Amino acid sequence: MSAPPPGTGSADDAVIAEGLTKRFGAFTAVDRVTLRIARGEVMGFIGPNGAGKSTTIRMLCGLVEPSEGRASVAGFDVGSQSQAVREHIGYMSQKFSLYGDLTVRENLRFFAGIYRVPAGEFAGRMRYAVSMAGLEGQENTRVATLAGGWKQRLALGCAILHHPPVLFLDEPTSGVEPEARRRFWDLIHDLAANGVTTLVSTHYMEEAEYCNRIALIDRGKLIASGSPGELRQRGLGGVLYELECSPLGAALEALRGVPGILEAAIFGDRLHVVADSGAAGTADLTGLLRGRGVAVGSIRPALPTLEDVFVHLVARGLETRAVG
Amino acid sequence: MSPRRLFAMMYKEALQILRDPRSLAIALVMPLMQMGLLGYGVSLDIKHVPICVYDQENSQLTRSIVSRFDAAGWFSIDRRLHSQAGVRHAIDAGECIAAVVIPVDFSRTLASTGAASIQAVFDATDVNTSNIAQGYLQGIVAGVNAEIETRWSAAHGVRASGVGRIDLQPGTWFNETLDSRNFIIPGVVAVILALIGAQLTSLTVSREWERGTMEQLISTPVTALEVMLGKLIPYFVVGMIDAAVCLALTVFWFDVPFRGNLLTLFAATALFSLVVLGIGYMISVRIRSQLAASQIALLVTLLPTTLLSGYTFPIDQMPRVIQAITLIVYPRYYVTILRGIFLKASTLFDLWQPLLGLVVFAILIVWLASRAFHKRLD
Amino acid sequence: MFGRVGVMLVKELLQLRRDRTAMMRLIIPLVVQMLMFGYAATFTVHHVPTTVLDLDRSAPSRGLVSHFVASGRFDVVDEAQSQSQLQSDIDHNVAVVGIVIHAGFARDLGSGKTAPLQVVVDGTNSNTALIALGYVNQIVAQFSAEEVAALARQAAGAARAPSGVTLQVVPWFNPGLEDTWFFIPGIIGSLTLMQVVSLTAFAIVREREVGTLEQILVSPIRSVEFILGKTVPFFLIGLADIALVCAIGILWFKVPFIGDPAVLLAGSALFLLAVVGMGLLLSTYSHTQQQAFALNFFFVNPFFILSGFAFPIAAMPKVLQWFTLINPLRYFLIVIRAVFLKGVGFSVLWPDLAAMAALALVMLAVSVSRFRASMSS
Repeated sequence: MSAPPPGTGSADDAVIAEGLTKRFGAFTAVDRVTLRIARGEVMGFIGPNGAGKSTTIRMLCGLVEPSEGRASVAGFDVGSQSQAVREHIGYMSQKFSLYGDLTVRENLRFFAGIYRVPAGEFAGRMRYAVSMAGLEGQENTRVATLAGGWKQRLALGCAILHHPPVLFLDEPTSGVEPEARRRFWDLIHDLAANGVTTLVSTHYMEEAEYCNRIALIDRGKLIASGSPGELRQRGLGGVLYELECSPLGAALEALRGVPGILEAAIFGDRLHVVADSGAAGTADLTGLLRGRGVAVGSIRPALPTLEDVFVHLVARGLETRAVG
Repeated sequence: MSPRRLFAMMYKEALQILRDPRSLAIALVMPLMQMGLLGYGVSLDIKHVPICVYDQENSQLTRSIVSRFDAAGWFSIDRRLHSQAGVRHAIDAGECIAAVVIPVDFSRTLASTGAASIQAVFDATDVNTSNIAQGYLQGIVAGVNAEIETRWSAAHGVRASGVGRIDLQPGTWFNETLDSRNFIIPGVVAVILALIGAQLTSLTVSREWERGTMEQLISTPVTALEVMLGKLIPYFVVGMIDAAVCLALTVFWFDVPFRGNLLTLFAATALFSLVVLGIGYMISVRIRSQLAASQIALLVTLLPTTLLSGYTFPIDQMPRVIQAITLIVYPRYYVTILRGIFLKASTLFDLWQPLLGLVVFAILIVWLASRAFHKRLD
Repeated sequence: MFGRVGVMLVKELLQLRRDRTAMMRLIIPLVVQMLMFGYAATFTVHHVPTTVLDLDRSAPSRGLVSHFVASGRFDVVDEAQSQSQLQSDIDHNVAVVGIVIHAGFARDLGSGKTAPLQVVVDGTNSNTALIALGYVNQIVAQFSAEEVAALARQAAGAARAPSGVTLQVVPWFNPGLEDTWFFIPGIIGSLTLMQVVSLTAFAIVREREVGTLEQILVSPIRSVEFILGKTVPFFLIGLADIALVCAIGILWFKVPFIGDPAVLLAGSALFLLAVVGMGLLLSTYSHTQQQAFALNFFFVNPFFILSGFAFPIAAMPKVLQWFTLINPLRYFLIVIRAVFLKGVGFSVLWPDLAAMAALALVMLAVSVSRFRASMSS
């Protein structure tokens, strides 16, 4: 599962990346990332800091030249048609990047000019961007004095002024309070409803739930992708059971080395056990433990969080790497 | 190139210039202050060379010679000394540029042999000043001699010799009064414009890198040429205003004669501003840290313009290698043009060489600057 | 206190070492500028391009021209055939000096009349013109003395006139009148001033802009400690600069160093303190690096020009002469030239050293108090 199954997309996918690799000297920041994003899809890019999310996004925007691999965005090749790509994307960088010494209106006017928004449409689009950012009445405020959440929403407003079909948002919600983050995601879904394709990176696991599909990236490698539901179902490679039993130590000992049991770990006052799907039913587990003198209170299948899945996949990646 | 995008860049840049009143004030007030300071401060005409006199004889004749030093107006006799040690100390401590020592038997020697000497001890550390002072002293001594000769001729009733003498008729063109201000102030203008120009643009790009706005900008379809022109044009306006202020001060305040053609002056100034701003922009594009950009801008402007542009030190007196280097010190062309237009009434045709130099530089800089900017982060 | 200053110092030096181009920016330009400007800065006038219009074409007229050439001060670049050609030479910068010997020059000299000799100088560069005219005077005087004396010997019976007063010139400290000796110490001081002021001015503004200043200010560090930690590295860089450029001046340009190195060290240290104080003061007035940069330009150029580096302070108007009193470079140039060329010591230079110390004290005190004010606000 080190790479997602290829060939699931169609030729008119909004974003296509094949084997994208970026090396900085001896360090490989992004390692053969292949992914596709269908039109209107919101793709979440999840991974810890330094995993290679920003570099991948910058390669897709044409800001960084890939060492290997190719990509196309909105039907244009990132390498050879970078100007056309730029006409069709909106980008929000990790760091706040509007002009702090200009006002809200002046920033919007500037980006409208740069993207050649037709003069007749500017007023309407500006009104939309301002209301979307919740900045009505603040059009003449210098951007430097706005609070973090408003800045982010204004940056998004600037990035979508020209109605780009594809949006790249690099950690748009980092450092923004939860309420504002919530509103930000509502905006993204509104855009998606209008057919905008979005690739958004975050290191907040709970935000992954808002995406149609997520791609997990760690140390430059894409380690899994799929919808949040799929990943929760399949991400662990088995079924997760939560057991109330005692003594926990003996139970852990008992399960070690049993065929069909993939993982067992103490989780608070319970035991989390991942079993090969189909190999071990709840009845088998109960019998096994009782046979070893463990009192079993309850046992039930549980749905893993995305964080569980991510930790599992990262740990497995480390093991295979250590072995290999 | 899209006029729409270019206009958006220019408008944004102009707003940013206006939003930073402190920097704008500096950009507009700086030339005034600098013209004031340098216009007055940069002068080689020592009108009052401080000298000391040690008159050992102190007779009527020697006192009359000393009074000639005073009356000439070139010297200020700061001190009378009374010993050789006093001479030593006055020169050591820099209290005077020269000490004139008249020997104790001056009158007697002159009367008996017809020849006598006065000693002038110079602090030759500042060679130029001591040369000039020496010239003044020689002139006064020549006056003394002429008087001695006249008196002798009158006494003997004959001319000193039966042969003619050369009557040297020196004439000075273009700067008739040999006022160093007339020659230095046009150079001051060039230096100030070079400094301000580089200062104006050299941080515009590195500032965007450091504030993170550049990453946003290069993700848009704006082209490198649009970025360059959008940044240069607003600053060009500021630069031309500065130039107009400096040139007006030169003519109306410092009374440097203006004999040439205004249109030639405008063309040369526009070209020079373009070069200067372009260089600042290029530094800014190449160097992403503001600190490094400013250091380099200071490095490539201040001392080279001051020392290698011919504004103070004549280029034709430098060693060949250094003369070759001055070919790339672009202010030298503007200095030559300004002096030509101001003092010599030179025409466009007379100045084709330095103008060509500026044109070549302008093309080169704009070409390099438009290529220097890459819309990439790595 | 020294513990925290030490920590700051280590941090500063680390940042400097990490910045790989910093060393190159600091040292290479210094050396290159020293070499270039050491050669470029000269007011010496020799090989002045000269055009000659000799309408007499006699032995004495040719003799006069050869006197000009033999002096080494004038190069005959053109022998003009007409007044207009001579004018055009000067108009087009072909020649700076034009000599016109009128027809009848030799006849007039021989017959006891006055022979006019016309010399035209392009006064655009007044300094060159002035010096060149001085040489013209000397050469003509010498020619007169030789030629006229020879003619006089032929003319019998003339009474012997008194030769009059001669000015016996004794140049001290620089007997060869090498102006490199004058400019090199000046360049050493100017280069150091520029480098150290800009480094210091930027250091604090940079931390402010990048945001690390806030981080440091919330720590228990005191403003004096912060400033010391920030400036001591620049002080040390400045000392190294002075040592380096002095070495070039002495070893490469062969400027004599007859004074006491201890006096120079004391002067350099006080000068650098004043310069660092100036940089700090500038930084307390700037909010952004661009402002620091502009201020830097704004002040460094006048301080450099109005220091006596090339333009004598005595030639300035009184008001500007007073202004030079707050210019540390003015005092340092006096000290460094005196140590190099005059060999004088503390007994003569103490007023200049004291002035630098006072300037350093005032500027450092003001900038520390301004900095403290900005911390509390």
